[in-house]
Amino acid sequence: MLKTLIEAFALISTWEVIIAMFAASVYGLVIGSLPGLSATMATALLVPVTFYLSPIAAIATIVAASSMAIFSGDIPGALLRIPGTPASAAYADEAYAMTRKGQAELALGAGVWFSAVGGIAGVLSLMILAPPLAEIALSFSTFEYFWLALLGLMCATLVARSSPVKAIAGMFLGLLVSCIGIENPGGVPRFTFGLTDLFGGIEPIPALVGVFAVAQVMRAMLTPEPPPLPRRKFGSIMAGQWKLTKQYHWQMTRGNIVGIIIGVLPGAGADMAAWVSYAMSKRFSKEPEKFGTGHVEGLVEAGASNNASIASGWVPSLLFGIPGDTIAAIAIGVLYMKGLNPGPTLFTEKASSMYAIYLMFIIANILMIPLGIAMIRIAAYILLAPRSAIMPIIMLCCAVGSFAIGNNMFGVVTVAAFGIIGYVMEANGYPVAAMVLGIVMGTMVEQAFVTSLIKSDGSILPFFERPVAAILAAMAIGALLWPVMVWAWRKLKPVRTGVAATSR
Amino acid sequence: MRLPDSVTGSFLVVLGAASAYGGWLLPPVPGQPVGPNVFPLVIGIGLALCGLAIVFGIGHTFEEEEELIPLEDGQAAAAAPPQGKFYSLRALLPPALLLFYVVAADRLGFIITAAIMVYVTSTALGAKWKLALPLAALSPFAIHLIFGKLLRVPLPAGLLPTPW
Repeated sequence: MLKTLIEAFALISTWEVIIAMFAASVYGLVIGSLPGLSATMATALLVPVTFYLSPIAAIATIVAASSMAIFSGDIPGALLRIPGTPASAAYADEAYAMTRKGQAELALGAGVWFSAVGGIAGVLSLMILAPPLAEIALSFSTFEYFWLALLGLMCATLVARSSPVKAIAGMFLGLLVSCIGIENPGGVPRFTFGLTDLFGGIEPIPALVGVFAVAQVMRAMLTPEPPPLPRRKFGSIMAGQWKLTKQYHWQMTRGNIVGIIIGVLPGAGADMAAWVSYAMSKRFSKEPEKFGTGHVEGLVEAGASNNASIASGWVPSLLFGIPGDTIAAIAIGVLYMKGLNPGPTLFTEKASSMYAIYLMFIIANILMIPLGIAMIRIAAYILLAPRSAIMPIIMLCCAVGSFAIGNNMFGVVTVAAFGIIGYVMEANGYPVAAMVLGIVMGTMVEQAFVTSLIKSDGSILPFFERPVAAILAAMAIGALLWPVMVWAWRKLKPVRTGVAATSR
Repeated sequence: MRLPDSVTGSFLVVLGAASAYGGWLLPPVPGQPVGPNVFPLVIGIGLALCGLAIVFGIGHTFEEEEELIPLEDGQAAAAAPPQGKFYSLRALLPPALLLFYVVAADRLGFIITAAIMVYVTSTALGAKWKLALPLAALSPFAIHLIFGKLLRVPLPAGLLPTPW
């Protein structure tokens, strides 16, 4: 073990790896902080670069860029209310509310500190818990996947601060969008209306850019320029983080654990980890009424969660070649390309490479703190720039970024269409985040649902027969019934509600 | 763009019914009871039910609460009343510009199209020409440098190729 560790150190202490890692970190921070450019896209665009690097350096770039991008997605979320990456979408409103309250340092500091802590917790899970956890996830059948996906979707309706009926409607809209294309159980063109561009379905990233970025520019067109935020220097970003760590250590740990578990599960990545953790934080909080008004508790838990999922997403990828999330899916491609074929043998035959990956994850997360603080200080100048200078650049990034995903113009059309959809939905109280989750997870939900139905021969009973499936089912149904219970509670206690409403 | 709940709810009922019907028409996987038809059917029915609930105002009580917390531009709501009838149509400018990009980028090239987009957006947001013009002149080159040069996105050259 010690020998492999020394070998691993030797592998990563070459100039090539160090420079690659540093450059990829800066790149990840910049791309992640640009709205409309997700961590997945940052990773995907790195793949051509990795052709020219050694295997360890290639993996180093992916590890560093994805970890940094997930953190720096918090920066525009907090400063502009446009999440830089989908993983920050769950708490962008919360962070922005904190900035409006004058607590931008605290929000961003919590982002960088708890991201780093979460990332390191994720690596530890990858090192210690990888094999047993992966076995549990492997024993999941489509029934469990179906309930898990449904639970993830219900979480989107729980975090929405709107009518739960409208949130569920938004979720269904997203699932409906995911139906488009030929990627369905029958392989037939579905809802394509004869348009070849729709055969491939609606890409989640342009849709996300549309509802979060374009819709934001659209809103800016109608609202007068907000009064300039009071000019002030950013205070110490790390100040108060240790106090938060002590105050919310349980939330942080819970976020880490949830992030690790969700990261390990195939198909569920950082964005879902953030949603679930934010919802959990709100539901278990002692002060749930503060959520949505600029309360740091949810940021702590979700920030710790989404970065934890990045490292643990590599668990099924390395062991079985099953991607834990989209970033890991790209990483698998690079692993194959570099002769590190995923599989259990990787841990015995190429143990030093595995240790090198662990070490790189740890280094990337430590490096995140100084680089992240520097990035926050640079990004803070966005606050000084007029809106009429930022929005046009965001528009250009939307157009070019959505084009770059598939190198075709249909991505740009998608962005424009989802800009309008997102704008109309938001204006009428339909939470767009629920729709986004529906789009992202639709294919997975459908696959799990239809495969389960085929297995059970059309019967509903097998959905509840397996113990884990039954637990997940109970949680999902509980989440569905939660608004009904709240509604009934309010009906029974009308006086109390009245007092609570006026005290806000 | 604030529409009454009855309008958006009815729209969802129609959309849900249409997708359920559309799903119904799809062929199942041969030899299987279910196929690509089931999921749209379930979603369509769910969507239609949600639409009905919204029309009848179920869950509306949850929304009143939100109105009390101005999420964004809370203070802006009081200032600057809409000017004229077509004011609200300004919101459609960004998607229109994106569609313009789709149509024009291949012919005019990235730099020119992007410069027009930037200038129009910037002016629409109230920038003086002193800001909008240099922004429109410089930002397309910067974006091209990042995406076209560094990230190797094949941006159309068109009439005005970049010097690199």
